[in-house]
Amino acid sequence: MDSILSWIGTAGMTGEAWLRHTTPDKYSAQTLELSSETILQISTQLLKSPPSSVDSSALDSTITKTRKHIDQMARLIRAKDSPAFAHQLDSLRADQKIVKQLSDSIEASQ
Amino acid sequence: MSKVLQVTLGLITSIGGFLEIGSVITAAQAGAAFGYKLLWAILLGTLCLVFLVEMSGRLAAVSKHTIVEATRARFGFPFFFIVTIGMGIVAFLVLIAELGGIGLSLQILTGIGFSWWAVAVSIVVWLLMWRGTFSLIENGASLLGLVTISFVVAAIKLHPDWGSAAHGLIPSLPGHDKTKYWFVAVSILGASISPYLMYFYSSGAVEDGWDETYIPINRIIAGIGMTFGGFLSMAVLVGAALFFQPKGIQVDKFSQAALLMTTALPKWGFFLFALSMLFACLGAALEISLAIAYFFAQGFGWNWSEDMNPSRDARFAFTYTIIILLAAVPLLFGIDPVKVTVISMALTSATLPLAIVPFLLLMNDPDYLRDQRNGWLSNTVVSIVILISFVLAIISIPLEFFGS
Repeated sequence: MDSILSWIGTAGMTGEAWLRHTTPDKYSAQTLELSSETILQISTQLLKSPPSSVDSSALDSTITKTRKHIDQMARLIRAKDSPAFAHQLDSLRADQKIVKQLSDSIEASQ
Repeated sequence: MSKVLQVTLGLITSIGGFLEIGSVITAAQAGAAFGYKLLWAILLGTLCLVFLVEMSGRLAAVSKHTIVEATRARFGFPFFFIVTIGMGIVAFLVLIAELGGIGLSLQILTGIGFSWWAVAVSIVVWLLMWRGTFSLIENGASLLGLVTISFVVAAIKLHPDWGSAAHGLIPSLPGHDKTKYWFVAVSILGASISPYLMYFYSSGAVEDGWDETYIPINRIIAGIGMTFGGFLSMAVLVGAALFFQPKGIQVDKFSQAALLMTTALPKWGFFLFALSMLFACLGAALEISLAIAYFFAQGFGWNWSEDMNPSRDARFAFTYTIIILLAAVPLLFGIDPVKVTVISMALTSATLPLAIVPFLLLMNDPDYLRDQRNGWLSNTVVSIVILISFVLAIISIPLEFFGS
């Protein structure tokens, strides 16, 4: 879960940096794509043998939603649509909080 | 050239040439995962490096021999051959990592994947080796590498808690992820105490014709230059502790590390990171290629000098040509340079005794050093740090890769 949170955090920071015009478009889009791919890989591994305390379907749907937001952000960079990008970034922040809560509940149960 | 100018140039070279992909990635990983807690590892590694670099220059100045020549002559070919295998493998891995670091820097700047850059980067490094002189390689890349001072500016602008940072200079046990903590500590030590740097430095001292009058200059360059270089590594760690750790971001990929200065230096931070890594890795790739070629040429008794025309030291030139081309191959196949970096830095720690123990024996040999032999302080500091690095490496490397 720490790795998933790390990559959601990376996507969030990459998004913030792009909104501030401090990083190139290509780098930002590629980093978001890498974040999405890595989250998929890690979550696939995690969901193969999930901890007994975790609600697998809740985790799966949250991760799927998160990845969708990140993929959308990568597309919006190419479209140079900052307002829509900012909206997706807010949604990602909300996803991040849910994943963090799930992670904390797993940690507490162990 | 006046001695003052030589000292100044030597200091610039030491500072500008200090950072490379290993020191940056390991420091960033340490800061992101453990805050300031691993600053002690950089301090310990830098302290050891100060002594080792000073010894390398002193050996060359007094005996007119490089470390490799003296090791071969003093311990014989069979022992030299074992050292060659160990050092050769590790140095080759580090070269792959540095070439990959150049490719990754170009990737984040252009969006073109690092494996597409592998051949072009290798040809540029080879051309600089083929056409360049020792001073061009030593000073040129290091002057460009001064851009790495931006890590210090970024760290200061993030307003670190100096008290907590000072506390990190004292070794302490981690509250979580103990295996990772010790593995990162070992990688930091490996990144700081790079044997290739000693081979490069002693060969450079012989190329520049040092004699005993250079001993004070050597002390200043090793002491002040390497210490400031260590500060650069610490700045990377401090920056990562302030930027990544609060957000729970671990540095597993280069593109994550690239965000390091984007908050502290919003306008230029990203580009300063990319340029810092580009020049630092270029300088390191040149130095390692040269160090490996020196190693083989000096060990096997071939002609060697970066200032000679390649036709006059053909086997020396052939060695770096082959090594640079071979190092590009894994990158062409997309091997992750960051993974190679982490593994090669940990392996460097594990193989340190192979390079350092015979070197320490040489530094206490009156046939080579006469009245300039090591004092008890140099012997003690280096022996303790190498022992710590080795023990930590043989315990933490298997644990990290095969689980505890």
